Amino acid sequence: MSKELAVDPVVLREEVKSKYRDVAFNPRGEYHFHTGRPLAKRLGYDSTLVDSMPDAAVESFAGVANPFSLRSLEQGERVVDAGSGAGFDCFVAARQVGAQGRVVGIDMLPEMLEKSRKTAELMGLKNVEFREGLLEQIPVEDRWADVVISNGVINLCGDKKRVFAELWRVLRPGGKLQFGDIANGKPVPESAIRNIDLWTA
Amino acid sequence: MLVDTGFVDVQISRPHDTFGEARGEKKARLFDVYGYTFLARKPE
Repeated sequence: MSKELAVDPVVLREEVKSKYRDVAFNPRGEYHFHTGRPLAKRLGYDSTLVDSMPDAAVESFAGVANPFSLRSLEQGERVVDAGSGAGFDCFVAARQVGAQGRVVGIDMLPEMLEKSRKTAELMGLKNVEFREGLLEQIPVEDRWADVVISNGVINLCGDKKRVFAELWRVLRPGGKLQFGDIANGKPVPESAIRNIDLWTA
Repeated sequence: MLVDTGFVDVQISRPHDTFGEARGEKKARLFDVYGYTFLARKPE
């Protein structure tokens, strides 16, 4: 592990997998964060769009903000969702970019990938695909994306410098990065930063 | 880190009370944690 990193990224990744595997299988469970339709409403997503989606598309949503609130996507854009979970933001993106656009969701959890692929099929979406991968090594070619979105995932990565380098790599020049994430207004003690249990608690 | 990577035209949304009334609210309040939307551009 690099001396610059507060926690071991591999250990952290396993903790995150464990937590979000639960969200995939048991989306209505009790977590330290909100999920599903109530969360989408809280974060200001387009209610007409969300209401039109099947439960499977929304129930495991666990984002922290709305990546579309500062800029809506344009028809025909190519989009990468870094950490797509059960696919909710990909489904929103798919509606915004239309049939000529394309959305690629990246997630490390096979359970989330299986769920998102099934839901895309249920919704009849032909412009969305899901690939297994890490944000530190995104399985997308250089400069492919017009837009990269993400929601509540970068903060769960141990090596953020490497993640941002990857987001930069997959974006075309002039491309947009629009993502939701958390930030703390008060300093977190060093001991808490190094306590891996607190990263997902 | 966005600027360090090379992104420009960085915008940040108003804070979302992401964890309000959730079980994790106590810890979130302790460190003043909120959700934000970030928008940035990779230069041409």
